Amino acid sequence: MSADSAAAPLTLPNQGSGRRNMLERVVAAATFLLIVAFAATIDGFATTGNLGIILINSASLTVLSCGMAVVIISRGLDLSLIAQMVAGATIFGMLISGGVAAPLALLAAYLSMVAIGALNAWLIAYVEIPSMLATLASSMFIVGLFRFAVLRGEYLLLLPKSDPTVAFFAGRLLPFLPVPVALMLGTLMATWFLLNRTVAGRIIYAMGDNFQAARLSGLSVRVTAIVVYVFAAFTAITAGLIMASASGAVDFRTVTNGTLLFEVILVVVLGGIPLRGGRGGLRNIIVGVALIAVLRNGMTLMNVTTQTQDMLKGLILLAAIITDNYLNPRDAETDTAGDL
Amino acid sequence: MSTQPVIQLENATKTYGGIAALAGATFDLLPGEIHALVGENGAGKSTLCKLIAGVITPSEGHLRVDGEVVAFAAPKDASRRGISMVYQETSLVPQLTVAQNIVLGREAAFNSVRKVRNAARQVLQRLNFKVDPSQLAGSLSAAKRQMVEIARAVVNEARVIILDEPTAALTPEETDHLFDLMRSLKRSGVAMIFISHALEEALNHADRISVLRNGRMIQTGPASSFTRASLIRHMIGEDLAEQAPARPAANTRSTAVPVLQVENIRMGAMVNNMSFSIFPGEVTGIAGLIGSGRSEVAKVIMGHTKRNFSGGRIWLDGREVRYTLPAQAVADGIAYVSEDRKLDGFFETMGVAENIGLGWLAKFGRRSILAPRHRMRALADDWEKRLSIRRIGANQPVLHLSGGNQQKVVIAKSLSQEPRLVIFDEPTRGVDVGAIAEIRQIIRSIANNGAGVILISSYLPEILDLSDRILVAKSGTIAAEFSRADATAERILHAAVH
Repeated sequence: MSADSAAAPLTLPNQGSGRRNMLERVVAAATFLLIVAFAATIDGFATTGNLGIILINSASLTVLSCGMAVVIISRGLDLSLIAQMVAGATIFGMLISGGVAAPLALLAAYLSMVAIGALNAWLIAYVEIPSMLATLASSMFIVGLFRFAVLRGEYLLLLPKSDPTVAFFAGRLLPFLPVPVALMLGTLMATWFLLNRTVAGRIIYAMGDNFQAARLSGLSVRVTAIVVYVFAAFTAITAGLIMASASGAVDFRTVTNGTLLFEVILVVVLGGIPLRGGRGGLRNIIVGVALIAVLRNGMTLMNVTTQTQDMLKGLILLAAIITDNYLNPRDAETDTAGDL
Repeated sequence: MSTQPVIQLENATKTYGGIAALAGATFDLLPGEIHALVGENGAGKSTLCKLIAGVITPSEGHLRVDGEVVAFAAPKDASRRGISMVYQETSLVPQLTVAQNIVLGREAAFNSVRKVRNAARQVLQRLNFKVDPSQLAGSLSAAKRQMVEIARAVVNEARVIILDEPTAALTPEETDHLFDLMRSLKRSGVAMIFISHALEEALNHADRISVLRNGRMIQTGPASSFTRASLIRHMIGEDLAEQAPARPAANTRSTAVPVLQVENIRMGAMVNNMSFSIFPGEVTGIAGLIGSGRSEVAKVIMGHTKRNFSGGRIWLDGREVRYTLPAQAVADGIAYVSEDRKLDGFFETMGVAENIGLGWLAKFGRRSILAPRHRMRALADDWEKRLSIRRIGANQPVLHLSGGNQQKVVIAKSLSQEPRLVIFDEPTRGVDVGAIAEIRQIIRSIANNGAGVILISSYLPEILDLSDRILVAKSGTIAAEFSRADATAERILHAAVH
């Protein structure tokens, strides 16, 4: 119901995004309670050393979530994010193993990401294939291609741990600043800048809010789609470099078992970015990552198995959505088709 | 005999996030009565109806059916008590046939197709509806869909039928037919509430009229006690001078060169060899029935529709163009204000300034990387003043504005692109009375300033008041053209129908 002049003296909060902000607050409060509970029960949780571990361990998840969040805000979905991540890391790993200079190898890896991102965007914005199907297809194709042509059917590509570039990505930029954390902060800033300060950012929100209106107003929705999916591809390769350098290997099973992709979507949704797009921002990403990172760290310290962790994550997603629905009951007036 | 009202609403209040959509309204409905609800958008008409139909529950106050207090938890509780609502956006299942839709929710465990069809046919015949029960609901026109909804209400033995803007999508003939039907239902004791923006309908066809304003019940009385002027006064709380917008005495057509020329456009089944020219400084009205291909041709010109485009040529300022994306048309100075602003007009979660700024950005920000935020804000403030858009807070989402203000935002979004040709598709549909005159003034002034204007409207007085030239579309072609002097409502209607 539109509120008209009757309510003139009142200033309303943004009701449209109000439901989302609520979920964000619920999750932020839950994270805070978790931190308090873990700090009280687990020895060594509330230490600066452990904080550093949490940050390093959540770096690649945060970077991927930034890419996914931008795609989702534009009312898309990128299911090929993890495939791009391992593909980019593989290109980089093959090239440095083959003796190519590190800057060239990095350049080649990032340029191939531009190609993959632009291909996704072309399928979605020009051929007009729904983003979920286009990226599902490209994900399968990428994994197949790389395992066949590059890894000759293997799952694993080992990285030379002694290589200075690999060591750099696993090391520290400054005494108190590990490189993964620096890359994470850089990606967060880039995401904020893209969403809030650029023309493309304005159009991303417009596309997510009402794609037909954006198209009919003459906004350059196709060019913006390229920006969105290339940005996502950049976050994928960045996360890939962090992950591969830390473990010393590129493992294609991260794509085929699917949990990382779902975890990235979980972070975005828990943070309060609706899958229908148009809403949310950097704060939502941080809130979502914080919950998952704290949970993962605390449970690992308590020696909880990953299987139990997965079950808990599923339950937390349900609990967050149910709490949100309970705090903001929906009726026919406030319900919106496609809203989560 | 004192009649017991079927519906009584006592001091009903419904609030959304601190805003009262309905504030202590009292309302009653007598058996066999046709009761019109009028008021501006956002006055609380729909809220009141939804309370009665059990779609929403009142925050305060209560509802009595036959004198007995009830609390409906869902629409099905209301329908069990004989209350049915016919929605503006009809709620038929498009993949089912008419007959299946009519019995929907009342099917026996084992259904026979023929039995269902015969039952439906009986009802449709009784109501004198010419609808084929075996047709798919999705393929029906808006008018027929509405008839099927009413038939469904009758099958459900409704004693109270609520119609939310039933005539918005109907032609004059269909409207007459609807009111005939309502009168015959009235004779069998059914009480009806209808919401309407056309005040004449309320004055001519209702027994009683209730006027809502800002969620309050302002006045209820027999229809004969109101006039158009008194209704408007109650609706907006002040006198409104209703007059046709000023237009220049001489013809403003500055050149004989058309800004837009369209030749033999064909598209799917809707547009069939349409040809016309639009001149700068003129408002060219396109009248016609719904489905005559008017919006479709506008969308072809804009480059919004491309899939079924099957031929024809378009010239802009004498240069042949063929757009495959609206962005190209916008860059060349064409703007389209669509008929359904919520569907493809505005960005609902964004504020007024953001919406207008995005329109400007689409044309003038193509080469920039950084968003010129201060420029956009200043521009939006300027348009807000020029079109006197009334908003509540700076970041108030456009969704929560009244229909008239929403439409002004969409218009400002287009005008910020400084277009040479503006296509208005039903610009005053769902717009409150107070804003209609303002929007017409805006449309006229665009032409007076030298741009070409296409005005697509199903409301004839609007076409007659604003246009310099009137085209009549009929089944995908232009059937007739009238100059302002020759045009009368009768001649236009005749051309549109025959």
